[in-house]
Amino acid sequence: MSEITRDTLMAYADGALTPAERADVDAYLADHADAAAEVALMQRQANAIRTLYGPVAAEPVPPRLSVEKLLQSREKRRSQIWTRAAAAVVLVGLGLGSGWLLRGQVDTPDIADRLIADAVSAHTVYVLENRHAVEVNGDDSEHLSSWLSNRLQTTLAMPDLSASGLAFLGGRLLPAPNVPGGRAAQLMYEDTTGARLTLYVTPSPGPNTPTYELANLGLDTALFWADAAISCTITAPYPAEKLQAIARTVFSQLNPTLTDYRT
Amino acid sequence: MVDILHEIEAAVPALRRYARALTRDFDRADDLVQDCLERALAKRGLFPPKGPVRAWLFTILVNVHRNSLRGSRRRGEVVDFADIPEPSVPAPQPGHMALAELDRAIGMLPHEQKEALLLVTLEGLPYAEAAAILDIPLGTLMSRLGRARAALKTLTGTPSEPHLRTVK
Repeated sequence: MSEITRDTLMAYADGALTPAERADVDAYLADHADAAAEVALMQRQANAIRTLYGPVAAEPVPPRLSVEKLLQSREKRRSQIWTRAAAAVVLVGLGLGSGWLLRGQVDTPDIADRLIADAVSAHTVYVLENRHAVEVNGDDSEHLSSWLSNRLQTTLAMPDLSASGLAFLGGRLLPAPNVPGGRAAQLMYEDTTGARLTLYVTPSPGPNTPTYELANLGLDTALFWADAAISCTITAPYPAEKLQAIARTVFSQLNPTLTDYRT
Repeated sequence: MVDILHEIEAAVPALRRYARALTRDFDRADDLVQDCLERALAKRGLFPPKGPVRAWLFTILVNVHRNSLRGSRRRGEVVDFADIPEPSVPAPQPGHMALAELDRAIGMLPHEQKEALLLVTLEGLPYAEAAAILDIPLGTLMSRLGRARAALKTLTGTPSEPHLRTVK
């Protein structure tokens, strides 16, 4: 007979044991009055809870909870919702870009522009943090890699940029409403002067994205790149040429299967 | 598609029962159920449930409730003075007296213990299903159940609980 624990007694009271296990407990309870009292109490508690709230299920369902009614009002709202949702997407996209989207003509931003906007917003927020710049420290890059790969549902290696004078600080998971899956990974690097570079990696936003885009944002430069598997935006306070050189190292490491990247 | 609507409809009484026990508040409970149903109806096309519809609905309800707790914690709860001394259940008979006490005790349980205890006792769900709905390991479910029961025992008075014997 296996050991009878409190959990076993509780599972017995809740009817969660197999017939063989029940028989064991029955035999045990016959010799242990305190355990039997414990089981009886647990059963009384459950019975009392059912007596107390059970009758709710017999009450007539109010009209507002009728599935048919809810479906009808859904249909009615649908057209309005689509119009509003479209407007909201545009507004959110516009708000995030810290001016990036307001260059030149303001139009419905395409997915690359929205991802660059998200990446730059995240960059701006987190590079200012000292103690909380990253969620998971770069020391544990293996864990970070498997965690972020899981969350983004794509294989994600942590690029080593030490050849470019950048030390890996770590990374974090971020919401990314503009891409399938809704998640992005931000990886952060720091050079010897304390300047920070971030990679904002998402699953591929779809086949219609341009593969390459460069944006000058005053102090920072952002470089966006997308392939069939992922998109990546690199943001750093570096001139475009320096960023492009770093980008080559990043892309070959992020996605070693695609070797044909050219700027 | 029609089948799933029927199944959703059939689950409404149980959802109301669970929501009422969770919130101990008629209107808030039905608000939660309405929110749950609206989400379910919106999701059913794009993300049809993989398992049983009932478990899927309970998962949505639990999440809607958890979200609402997060929201109310930020805003602070509005409490009507009249609600404080007296529980919602009237106590005309000795048996009801014990139930009123139990109702109040359940209201005092930490919400993660409450949601676990009510799924297993009130809804009679198997441990594995309850754990899946709450998105917790089986061991965590059992320890929450154990703690909830110990707390109820303390909150409703003497360990031997003689007054609950009057309850069927």
